[in-house]
Amino acid sequence: MMLYALTHITQRYHQRTVLDIDHLAIETGSIYALLGPNGAGKTTLLNILSFLEAPTSGTIAFRGQVVDHSHAAMQQLRRQVVLVDQHPIMFSTSVCSNIEFGLKIRKIDKARRQHIVDETLETVGLRSFKHVAAHALSGGETQRLALARALALEPDVLLCDEPTASVDVENQAVIQVLLQQINEQRGTTIIFTTHDRLQAAALAHQTLVLESGRLATTTYENSYTCTLHAAEHGTMRCRLHGIVEIPLPLRLQDYRQSAGSGRIYIDPEKIRLFRAELQQPNTQQIAGTIVLVMSEGEKIRVVVNIGVLMVVLMDRSSYQQERPAIGETMHLQLATDAVTLM
Amino acid sequence: MSFFVESFFSAFKLVGALDPELLLIVRVSLTVSCIATVSAATVGIPLGFIIAYGNLPGKRAVITILNTLLALPTVVIGLFVYTFISRRGVFGALDLLYTQQAMVIGQFILIVPLVTALTVAAVSRVDERYRKTAKTLGANTWQTALIVLREGRFGIGAAVISAFGRVISEIGISMMLGGNIKGFTRTMTTAMALEYDKGSFTLAVALGLVLIAISLGMNILFNLVQGKSTR
Repeated sequence: MMLYALTHITQRYHQRTVLDIDHLAIETGSIYALLGPNGAGKTTLLNILSFLEAPTSGTIAFRGQVVDHSHAAMQQLRRQVVLVDQHPIMFSTSVCSNIEFGLKIRKIDKARRQHIVDETLETVGLRSFKHVAAHALSGGETQRLALARALALEPDVLLCDEPTASVDVENQAVIQVLLQQINEQRGTTIIFTTHDRLQAAALAHQTLVLESGRLATTTYENSYTCTLHAAEHGTMRCRLHGIVEIPLPLRLQDYRQSAGSGRIYIDPEKIRLFRAELQQPNTQQIAGTIVLVMSEGEKIRVVVNIGVLMVVLMDRSSYQQERPAIGETMHLQLATDAVTLM
Repeated sequence: MSFFVESFFSAFKLVGALDPELLLIVRVSLTVSCIATVSAATVGIPLGFIIAYGNLPGKRAVITILNTLLALPTVVIGLFVYTFISRRGVFGALDLLYTQQAMVIGQFILIVPLVTALTVAAVSRVDERYRKTAKTLGANTWQTALIVLREGRFGIGAAVISAFGRVISEIGISMMLGGNIKGFTRTMTTAMALEYDKGSFTLAVALGLVLIAISLGMNILFNLVQGKSTR
């Protein structure tokens, strides 16, 4: 069932368009990961989905009904959707009172409130902190309390802005498990933003990528800011993140007109990895050091440091043939259709 | 030197003996200052909150005017109120001149800008995320405003304490509008001025000691409240 349907949504601040989405459909009961670099519009999209902000233009349908952006209608819709901030702030009361806040607003009686508070604190593993001042909690505990405060309201949709960005590894794992549990046990639709593609792959049923306010058809990894410039013999080169320069495959000579700054996406499945001794003559290759090798479904993920980190997804046969090892220097070659300029 | 020691010794004795005249003066001072502070808080806190929280046009101009009013001398306020409540004034018929009510009115005018400006500062300092969090948890406009008010409570409390400290130690308004009538409008500061004029230092020093003790108490309270707000 369709939960959200966004059509021609734009959001502008001071004449600057920060979000421009032609169409986006979110289904009920799924987990969505929203990937994208800083400033891509992830938080703006979450604010719109949580009915905290009305878009500048476009229509949103929620459960098949077109959303009326009047004050009263938005307030009613907010009772079904809760947003957990990247850096959540706790009211200067106890842990218990923080969780009770939304329940009191919904006029739930005291006995029931206490039961929900106990149950929720148990779920997030903060039972022993019930009467502690919320401001006294650590970063990870605060993030879990913020989740508890949202979960106590049993929302249909839980929106989390980088839920694990500012917590330690232990709390990251706890929060990931929690999100999965909530989705499985309560059927809550979860939409979370992240920079971590691995986390997105592990948690989400579907991944959305935002680039400069627009939904991108690419995956998030191997997306770099770049400066294009002409090199010798009519070829083009590209400086990634202002750090490392790579040659562009031939097809991109068509982009000679577009010399300047922008973003580039390199498809990780369209990069070949060679051992140095297998280097072929007359091909433009990039040398790098292997820093990570891991299995990912039918593919092998290899991360190569070429000055910036570049991900290569190898099929198992190529991996058997090349056997990249951590610390080894190898060469990358981009296929002619590997590069997309954005 | 012996004059100094003698005056202090006599003053301490007067305070220790709970001299009835001294107690009466302290009572008048506290009564007038407390009523003025409560009245100013009743007006200044909501006003400051609306200015800080609301998205009103001309907000910056209002804040600038408030900050200017903070520097208003007490004698100017005294003179201003006098023109209204003296026999020839608009409210002359109310016969307010040289009454405690007149002093309250003057002190109220003195500290309303202070309470308002400090409330504006306190509410403006409340993290914007409180508003967003309250809204996403389902709060309506009033409930969201109350959350912001609650989170700014220590700063607002400090504003009220600061205002009380201002009125308890002022002299211009009390002298001009109260007239320093014994047992009726004589406050600690006006009594001290009178005793100084008479060259009788014992009561003046004793009142000074009480005033310093009250100021100290207010500052301790102010620091406690400020400390809580920054914790």
